[in-house]
Amino acid sequence: MTHRDASFRLEGITRRYGELTALEDIDFVVEQSGYVSLLGPSGSGKTCLLRIICGFEKPDAGRVWFQGRDITDLPPHERGIGFVFQNFALFPHLTVFENVAFGLRNGAVSVAEAEITRRTEEAIEMVGLAGLEDRSPEQVSGGQKQRVALARTLVMQPSLVLLDEPLGALDANLRERMQTELRAIRERLGVTFLHVTGSETEALAMGDIVAVLDAGKIIQTGTPDQIYDTPASSDVALFLNRFNMFDGTLSDGMFAGPFGTAAAPVARHNQRDVYAIRYDRTQIFDKGAALPGPALTARFLASEYLGSSIIFLFETADRKTIEVDHHLSFGEPRDLEVGGEYVLSWDPAQAIVFGKGVAA
Amino acid sequence: MSAQAATKQKTATFQLLAPGVFWMILFLVAPIMMIVYVSFWTQTTFAINSTLTLDSWRNFFASEAYVGALWTTIRLWLIVLTVTFVIGYPAALFVGLLVKSKTLSTVLLVLCVIPFWTSFLIRVLAWRPMLGKEGAINIILQKVGLIDSPIEVLLFSELSVVIGMTQIYVVFMVGPIAFMLGRIDRNIIEAARDLGAGFGRIFWKIILPLSLPGVVVGAIFVSVMVLGEFATSGALSGRKVNLLGNVIVTQVGSLKWAMASVVGVILTVLLGIVVAGFLRIVDLKKEL
Repeated sequence: MTHRDASFRLEGITRRYGELTALEDIDFVVEQSGYVSLLGPSGSGKTCLLRIICGFEKPDAGRVWFQGRDITDLPPHERGIGFVFQNFALFPHLTVFENVAFGLRNGAVSVAEAEITRRTEEAIEMVGLAGLEDRSPEQVSGGQKQRVALARTLVMQPSLVLLDEPLGALDANLRERMQTELRAIRERLGVTFLHVTGSETEALAMGDIVAVLDAGKIIQTGTPDQIYDTPASSDVALFLNRFNMFDGTLSDGMFAGPFGTAAAPVARHNQRDVYAIRYDRTQIFDKGAALPGPALTARFLASEYLGSSIIFLFETADRKTIEVDHHLSFGEPRDLEVGGEYVLSWDPAQAIVFGKGVAA
Repeated sequence: MSAQAATKQKTATFQLLAPGVFWMILFLVAPIMMIVYVSFWTQTTFAINSTLTLDSWRNFFASEAYVGALWTTIRLWLIVLTVTFVIGYPAALFVGLLVKSKTLSTVLLVLCVIPFWTSFLIRVLAWRPMLGKEGAINIILQKVGLIDSPIEVLLFSELSVVIGMTQIYVVFMVGPIAFMLGRIDRNIIEAARDLGAGFGRIFWKIILPLSLPGVVVGAIFVSVMVLGEFATSGALSGRKVNLLGNVIVTQVGSLKWAMASVVGVILTVLLGIVVAGFLRIVDLKKEL
């Protein structure tokens, strides 16, 4: 299938519910078809944004552009945008086949019966549900329901598919399989998937582009590695759940925190002074050993074995939890004594420093 | 499970069922059997004796008045059922689906029930001053100038019975339908909208099928009550409309127990057929 024009642009989208501002002046552009993740904590307005793009809600201000057209005032079905609901929203009284065929049968454009059958079977085949056509939605598993919902949307051949936390209702095992599959289906069709999620791992793993939404604003857009390596603010870093973060004060290129003072030649503008070091850049040393950088004394609490890496949990004197991620490909981890005191350190060049005194 | 434990559980099951079974036999099965039995008794003008005969049954089907009452009952039932559905469904659609706030829809449902705070007879009789020759409706229509002489067909006719019954029973149609509509996931309707279905299609393909169990339950409520009616027709038809219920009242009043039993059996069979028919439309076990 050829790549279709799936460019869309949001201009100053604002949505208020009474006093509450759900979305504030959102600008967002997608030029090429791809997998776009929209990452945001619950209540950040991400579902609201999807519903505006899809046409279920109207923005109070701003325009939505899609394939070069202003679609802000078009009803949902005239937009050529598919929507996959969080709880799947399958029609409970129709079979899998009829669920998928619904849009073709009841849409504004009438489709010949033979074509309905062909396209429906194609869509069912594509999501791997062949053989289950005659089941009712309650007779299929959660993962299969998800596929039905996807097929029901894809059969309409939309250029943009909006997925509202599509994996939220699935168990962990299934979630990972569906992640791969969603990406594969998108590649095959060459359309744009806009995937809304509250899970940072999901957003970073799946998105070609990731947009981070917080409190109704997009606070950073970029490729997953850009977001991961250079979070735009301490909020993004916190949300990524990959950084040990310390409050302190930044002055004259030096950051004073609970670990003493460390050199911080490069810093980014932020609301407050924060020092962030990735879990997997934090190293463990015995007391008195030579250190690569700042020293933070901490008590070892426990470890979590994750298969390819181990997370060690430490607690500092002021009861702050520090995580150290040791990847097993770097060799066996050292034995640590629970309750024992160790020194945590890191290469200061790898820290990310945010300062309120830094120019934006 | 060992044989002993199985027996023990069986005993427990019977013990738990016994009170209910006993109650139903004493107050439902036995009386019905009694009515069937009495319908074959021999009725003379002033007495009844238990010699079995088919006379009452023959009399019923030979009498134009009685068979006429049967057809009137069926006709009025179908009319009232249709009218309660036609009026009740849009009302339920509004209360159950279109009103977004749960509080407001509860308030509206309670409003539907307010007429039940007065007694049944008062509600029925209240229609007389409304529909009469010099009743509210005729006076208003005349004052407005829409009609010159009062519409006489409004009261003491089949129409007045239909109006009265509809007003009383429509709420039994609204309730179950509104309940089923309220359970429909709004996302389903949005999904249908996103797939390009217009309002008409969404209604016929999604909303109506999903609310069908409510329609069936409502129809059973209305049918059971309308088929057994005698008070509304008595009060609003001026004796012109005779339903099976009215026949039973008259026969019992003149101590014709055998004929009253015949009509009772026919009414019970009719109700059984109607309810069984409705239950075939949807699998209620799956829905409730």
